[in-house]
Amino acid sequence: MNTLMYITLRNVKMFFRDKGMFFTSLITPLILLVLYATFLSNVYRDAFTSGIPDFIKFDEKLINGTVASQLLSSLLAVSCITVAFCSNLLSVQDKANKTVNDMLISPLKSSKLALGYYIATFFITVIVCLVTTAVGFIYVYSVGWYLSFSDVLLILADVLLLSLLGASLSSVVSFFLSTQGQMSAVSAIISAGYGFICGAYMPMSQFPEGLRDALSFLPFTYGTSLLRNHCMNGAFEEMKNIGVPNEAVASLKDSVDCNIYFADTAVGTDVMLFVLIASVVVFTVIYVLLNVFSKKIKK
Amino acid sequence: MEKIIEIENLSKSFGEVKAVKNISFSVEKGSLFSFLGVNGAGKSTTISMLCGLLTPDFGTINVCGQSSEKVKDKIGVVFQSSVLDMPLSVYDNLKYRASFYGITGERFQKRLNELSGLLDMGEILNRPVGKLSGGQRRKADIARALFHSPSLLILDEPTTGLDPQTRKTLWQVIEDLRREGLTVLLTTHYMEEAADSDHIVIIDSGEIIAEGTPLELKNKYTKDTVTLYGVDEKDVKKLGLPYIFDDSYCKLFIENTSKAAELIGNNRELFVDFEITKGKMDDVFLAVTGKELHGGVSR
Ligand SMILES: Nc1ncnc2c1ncn2[C@@H]1O[C@H](COP(=O)(O)OP(=O)(O)OP(=O)(O)O)[C@@H](O)[C@H]1O
Ligand SMILES: [Mg+2]
Repeated sequence: MNTLMYITLRNVKMFFRDKGMFFTSLITPLILLVLYATFLSNVYRDAFTSGIPDFIKFDEKLINGTVASQLLSSLLAVSCITVAFCSNLLSVQDKANKTVNDMLISPLKSSKLALGYYIATFFITVIVCLVTTAVGFIYVYSVGWYLSFSDVLLILADVLLLSLLGASLSSVVSFFLSTQGQMSAVSAIISAGYGFICGAYMPMSQFPEGLRDALSFLPFTYGTSLLRNHCMNGAFEEMKNIGVPNEAVASLKDSVDCNIYFADTAVGTDVMLFVLIASVVVFTVIYVLLNVFSKKIKK
Repeated sequence: MEKIIEIENLSKSFGEVKAVKNISFSVEKGSLFSFLGVNGAGKSTTISMLCGLLTPDFGTINVCGQSSEKVKDKIGVVFQSSVLDMPLSVYDNLKYRASFYGITGERFQKRLNELSGLLDMGEILNRPVGKLSGGQRRKADIARALFHSPSLLILDEPTTGLDPQTRKTLWQVIEDLRREGLTVLLTTHYMEEAADSDHIVIIDSGEIIAEGTPLELKNKYTKDTVTLYGVDEKDVKKLGLPYIFDDSYCKLFIENTSKAAELIGNNRELFVDFEITKGKMDDVFLAVTGKELHGGVSR
């Protein structure tokens, strides 16, 4: 147990000391912030404004708060996965520069080594994303806060769950990588592509239907949607309170992926939650099996 | 004498490359054992198998009478290239690595003090390994290898690239440890380092081509040189041996020392002022491999 703690600590420390890894993990969230600062926030502002019927009077604060919560949800959806991937690249880096040999010659069990990367990745992701969440909450609070206490708790739970998803998936992927080249290729693909396919740069509702259908098979899609629901719920409730018709709110919800359809059936948040938990379990089991299996082969 | 390493019929291929071909040797407890060979001869591959990083294709390895997997805490390895964590301080590196051997807390601190005194590492302890000079980094590597007080220390080219002063310091430390019973297996490109060892194995293209004590090897593969002073060339010529004549001296090449003694006895009048030198390890290496080794580069 003690050894596991030390190896995990080592991995966490490596991530925060290795400037390269740390900053790579922030690329996607930063791109997202730049996109919002330059034009995305205006696009959403217009969409929300025009989504509310003309005869209803509303405060500018409501629109600001809605846009900010939308940003928060995108930011978290992206960070939980990209940070996990970047931090798990440590396991690849260790293989690439043979540091792992130095651990394998010691009595350290290879199961602890594998678990150490998994847990460290989870911790790192949670630390980074919780800081992001805190900063995000402050920002949302400053422009328009509509979150209830239970929303806040749900968002925190989502972050934990998505970090776990990121950690388990990245562990499986990293297992197959062993060179510096593969490592940079994967981090480039994730950094560049993930923001797009998870619907952070642009809502999935605007994707062509084929792509949307394909994405409905990916667990992350439900992660994004879950966060959207929990982040924006308060704002949408407020819209209903001031008299915006339910259909108008529903179509707004559709447009920002709060409602996700799998083969034309709406997927409820409870199902999303289930999909995420099941994915975490599946990826974790695969990771464990890969390690057990590869050890057997080596013997 | 008790054997600490016993290797029999060891072979390892990487695809087409036969890195190690059916080699067998053993190392006596408490001895200094040198493993020589040009670049690519298969030294590092043998060492990797010895410490359990690579599985042999054929053959058996016994360390302390067991498979190396089971005695990991008895083996310390200094790899050819440093495998410590560059962003972390020497202290952190040692702390985490020591924990793999179950050395933590007070035991860690005590051992750290011992080693830092032994290797004179006080001033580098808190500096990141990546910022150290080559020699300082080597000290850290050695401290890491010795941390768990192994009974076998494996050094893969420990002194390549070090200045003579640092090289001397390292040898002094190793010498001291050997007096306490440490067995050392070493690969090196410096012949004068190998010349001090108890047993030498020379490998070329994965095969053992010569082995023995330095003396045995010198006797077998090199000629003695008798340098004569104040003689005439015509007198030397009469002996019918290969020679080099210079104004001030004449060098005679003789099969071995007993032949030299015989020659001197038979020619007392000629051998007035002379000296006998044995062949050097460089000559042994040249004779058996047809290649010359010079400070880490073979020509
Ligand atoms: N992982 C590997 N994959 C493929 N080939 C390898 C691998 N490791 C070593 N080799 C090959 O095996 C041979 C022996 O390599 P090895 O590293 O054991 O040499 P060495 O004696 O340590 O040389 P050097 O003095 O340069 O360190 C070389 O031809 C090398 O290219
Ligand atoms: Mg080598």
